[in-house]
This record gives sequence, C-alpha cells and structure tokens, in this order.
Amino acid sequence: MDRIDARIRAVRQADSAQTLLAATAVLATSDHGDSISGEAIACLVEVLGFNNPGAAAAAVNGLIRLGPMAVEPILESLDPRNYGARAWAVRALAGIGDGRGLDLLEEALGSDIGPSVRLAAARGLGQLRLDTLGEPLRLAVQTRCLQALVAGCSDGEWVVRYAVAVGLEGIGLADFNSEHLRPASRQALLGLSQPDGEAVPVVRLRAALALRRLDGQPSA
Amino acid sequence: MATSNSLSGTVQAMAGTIDPDAGISAAGEPITEAEALQRLRQSEDHSQQYYAAWWLGRHRSRHPEALPLLLATLRQRRPRDPGAGVEENAIARNAARALGKLGDASAIPELLAALDDGDDGLREAAARSLGELQATEAVAVLLRRLASGPAGAGAPRLDSPRLQEPCEAMLEALGAIGIAEPGVITLIEAFTAHDRPLIRSAACRALLQLSGEARWADPLVQLLDHPQLQVRRAALMDLGAVGWRPALEPICRTLVENSLKLFALRGLVEQGEHHDAEIAIESVLNAMDSLL
Repeated sequence: MDRIDARIRAVRQADSAQTLLAATAVLATSDHGDSISGEAIACLVEVLGFNNPGAAAAAVNGLIRLGPMAVEPILESLDPRNYGARAWAVRALAGIGDGRGLDLLEEALGSDIGPSVRLAAARGLGQLRLDTLGEPLRLAVQTRCLQALVAGCSDGEWVVRYAVAVGLEGIGLADFNSEHLRPASRQALLGLSQPDGEAVPVVRLRAALALRRLDGQPSA
Repeated sequence: MATSNSLSGTVQAMAGTIDPDAGISAAGEPITEAEALQRLRQSEDHSQQYYAAWWLGRHRSRHPEALPLLLATLRQRRPRDPGAGVEENAIARNAARALGKLGDASAIPELLAALDDGDDGLREAAARSLGELQATEAVAVLLRRLASGPAGAGAPRLDSPRLQEPCEAMLEALGAIGIAEPGVITLIEAFTAHDRPLIRSAACRALLQLSGEARWADPLVQLLDHPQLQVRRAALMDLGAVGWRPALEPICRTLVENSLKLFALRGLVEQGEHHDAEIAIESVLNAMDSLL
C-alpha cells in the first residue's frame, strides 16, 4: 500500500513529460494486491487530461487492468471541453468493456465532434463484455451497439469507418444469438467492403477481412 | 459519402497546424458547394474567399466552375510587399493547395509559374500541389530552385526561421512526381546531410520513393527515436507516404499520437504493395486495430 502511495506521489510530482510518462507507466503496471486504492484510480484518470499521449496511453492500460472498478471514476471525470481527455476516457471504457459505458459510447460515436473520440467509441461498441447479463438484456444491448455501428458506416472520417468495421466484426463474432446480429453486421460490412459504398481502400480491406473472419466462424 | 479520402491531404492538413496563414481562416461552419463557389466569386470579403478556396479543395469539387475560379484566385496575388496587406497572397496559397486536390492537370501551367513567385509560401503550396498532380513538367523548375544545395536553397533566411526555398515541400514533390533520373537523385542526396532533421527526412522520403533502396529508410526509422515530437511525426508520415512496410514495428513503437500512426499505417497498406511482400496487409491491419 505504501509503495502504491509513493508511486501516486511520483506521478503527481513529475516535472517533465518524460518523468510523467515513466511514473505513470510504473503506477499503471503496479500489482495492487487485494486492496485497490481509489487514489490510484483517481490519479490515472487525472493523467488522461494532461495532454501527454505516452502517459495517457499508459494510464489507459492501467485503468483497463483495474477493470470495472475504474468505470465510475472515469464516467465522473468526463470533461466536455477537453477532447483529448475524452478520447482517452472513451478508449479506457472501450477496453474495460463494461455495459455501464454503453450510453457514453453510443452518444460519442453518434455525435462527438472529435474523430478520435468517435473512433474509440466504435471500437468499444464491438467489444462490450456482456456475459454476466441475462439473454434478453444482452440481446437488447447488442442490438443498440449494432444500430450505432451501422449508423457509423456513414461517418465522414475514414478512420472512424475503419473502427466501425472492427466493431461490426466484434458484434458479428460474438458467440451468442448470432442469428439475430450476424446478418445485419454482415450486410453493413458488405457495404464498407465495396468501392461504391466506401471510397477508402484501407477501410474496404478491413471490412473484407472482417467478412472472411465471420464466414470462417460457424454460427453458434 | 467519404469526404476524407486522401493521405497526402491529411499530411497537408497536419502541415496546416503550423501554417502562417491559419490565423485568418474563417470559422469552419458547414456550407454547400454552391455557397463555396459564390464566396470565391466575390472579392470583398477575403476571409470568405480564403475559406471557400480551402473548402473546394477539401471536398475535391468537380463543379465546372471550381477550376477557373481557383485559377483566377491564384492570379489575384500581388508582388511581395512586406508593408502592405498580403491577404490576396494568402488566398492564392489556399487556391494553389486546392488546385492540387482537384486532380485536374490543366492547373499545371499556372502552378508551375507560381513556383517562381517571390512568396516562398506560395512556392511551397505550388510545389506540394505539383507533386500531388505528379506533374513531370515541374521537375526541371524544382531542380533549378534547389540547385544551390543545402548551403544555398537550404540556408536559413535572415528574417525568419524558414529556409531560402521551401525545401521540404520541393523535395517531397520530386519524390511524388517519380522521375528517378541520376541528376534528380544526386541533388536530393545532397539534402540528406542538411542540418535540419525535417529536411533530411523529406530527402530520404523522396529517395526511398524514387529508388526503393532500403538504405534511405534507415535514417527515417532512426528519426522515429528523435527527442522532438515534431521530427518523429514527420519521419512517421514520410514512411507512411512511401508505404515502407518493413518499418511496421518501429512505427508501432514510436511515441507519437495513435491517430497519426493510423494515417501512416494506412499508407503502408495502400502504398506498400511494391516494396515488401514479406509483411502482409493483414499484419498491418492487425497493428492498426491495436491502435484504435
């Protein structure tokens, strides 16, 4: 515990980009044992807003390692004026894959002005971990994810559409209720894989790869 | 539906973040093509013209009036006069940038003339657009402007941090145009020893594009470890523009924003076919997935 406190102090007292990155990486990979410090989570969440990409990436990894405990602190920290921090927060929530992030991910993909935020949201919508939910709720949540991703196929930024293809693959590959979701996700991917539906080659190639993966995977 | 479909456009949008013209850009509110043409046609409000010229390039307008209007805007420039307002020149620079994006070769003669303009910012924009248009006609003029080498064309100006010639843009244009004659190669090679890492990066990028020789990739890969973020970004985008797939691992490791790495990796997928079949597209796509 003392060791964690010292590591939190090291992050807060860092006086250069390099020392912040190093201290964040150490804190993010710490073994918290049985008692995860709320202070450690708060500290990693703060780093998301520091405009230091290396440190923020390390903090995201640390938050994803901490898992569902980090979800509420991340949701509470969201600053609508700081797009960089929002993108990292959405990325952390996408990586944790907790259903509590659904509203945020859905809203972010549909209407956030920052492409990096929409991108992270699309990625996250394809990989929510819903195995603890009962079947009807799970299907309802996944249907919302799918609808948001289908709408994302017409995003103006290629990199967001690329992430949408990855998200659609994730939904289509989910091993439950595939007969509900797989046809719709295949259809959306088909649109992204063809020149008349998608102008950017790398997006078409990624959608085609997703389709091959869906076709190689037998329906559950 | 896809509006942002150009890798080089992205590189230029990035260059725009350090663009001296950026200050007079009008607010980026959504407008229609008809509105953009109308704004370019009038000449009272310069900021509206400036934005309209950018808009037509960004959206790769195919309207028959877009090209003649942009050419007229390019002609609107004045001889350089440091004391006077230079807004016409700023609009001309944006028109030159847009003309590269329309992809119409009939803009080449006027862009070629702009390569000899007194305004180095306009020469820079014209060089980039001629590169985008792969205008072989531009090689001779580019060689002439760069002929004095790093100590002449590449010397710092006394009045600004810029160089005598916009070397970075001109070297990149030579690489993009793709004429690999000995005279071109020799001249570009001289710039691989320039003091400034951004110029070395541009020179290596051009040589790698023209020759496909791995020895020109090594300095770019080394610049991915440079202490300055701006230099790492430039080397990253240069490797992406060439599509140098052997750099996949170093690109993934370098400390640069994921968004820029994704642009560079898109280049590895789309431009990389002719360099290295050893690294499959799927490996690059997997690397892109992990950056999302």
